[in-house]
Amino acid sequence: MPRSETIGLPALFAAFFRLGVMSFGGGTAGWLHREIVERRCWISDREFLSGAALGRLVPGSGGVNLTVQVGQHLRGGAGALVAVLGLLSGPLAIVLALAVVYTTIGQNHLLHAVLDGVAAAAIGLTFATGLKLLQFKARSAGPLAITFATVVCIGVLRWPMIPVVLCLAPVSICVALLDRRGANA
Amino acid sequence: MPDEVRTLLALALVFAPLSLLSIGGGAALLAEIEHQSVSVHAWTTQREFADLFAISRAAPGPGTMLSARLWGRWRGSLWHSVVERGLAPIASGLILAGGVAVMRVSPGGPAVWVAAALSTALILFRPSFHPLVLFIGGGVVFGLAGILGVW
Repeated sequence: MPRSETIGLPALFAAFFRLGVMSFGGGTAGWLHREIVERRCWISDREFLSGAALGRLVPGSGGVNLTVQVGQHLRGGAGALVAVLGLLSGPLAIVLALAVVYTTIGQNHLLHAVLDGVAAAAIGLTFATGLKLLQFKARSAGPLAITFATVVCIGVLRWPMIPVVLCLAPVSICVALLDRRGANA
Repeated sequence: MPDEVRTLLALALVFAPLSLLSIGGGAALLAEIEHQSVSVHAWTTQREFADLFAISRAAPGPGTMLSARLWGRWRGSLWHSVVERGLAPIASGLILAGGVAVMRVSPGGPAVWVAAALSTALILFRPSFHPLVLFIGGGVVFGLAGILGVW
């Protein structure tokens, strides 16, 4: 593994820029693992996993949180800033350009048809992400009931997200605490 | 206060608190973003929201979830694992609710629902399938249907 002082800020920026524009479908952490852990060996598997776990617990995008931690670990505060700028600048430019093209073309039947197809695929990706999370993390009746309640309150009844999450989170954490089987698994 | 400044301020006031509660990352916010943008503030029409959702998901960018093979490998402290196991069902519910919200808003109707179900199954049973291929496939199929006049 190269010593972290040998990784320059430009190299850090370039690596995360590449990561950002390669992250199709949103699995940034997965891409980050492949790119930074497996290919470049900048951090160890263990460091990555503990960073990823923390990145999911603190608020905000898990991928951005993980990037901040890796940048910080490699080159301190400047490293964190450069890594995040690298990660976000490419995708931001691309999505802004696409949005400008979309508003310029305006209402067009073929464009709508194509985007309906892309939306269908993206909805599928969203459902698959939620279901995979369920499969890995919530396999017993209590957690499944919490997931069901969340979908009904927010997806069907359209209640505002913040109060719903603030009410369900303590309940769900209690359920997890009582769920001995899960704790021993 | 000029209207544009007022809108920018409203955007910040709506989205800043959301990001603090984004358990499970950006995808978990989808339902609320749709609700605020379309129903509450009328920042976009339903059609525009569905289109912009498609564009932003197809474009590369830092997403949220760990890839499947990385889930469950980390063994943390007890409190850590309890908090995470407690939040995971909510994160999952928020993400699924986001899918439901976009489906409701999509002007594509039942054809989009069927295609969404097919792509869900494809991703679940073929995890190595590249999402970009799926996006392009969906766009091409619906685009051809549009040219042929059946869509």
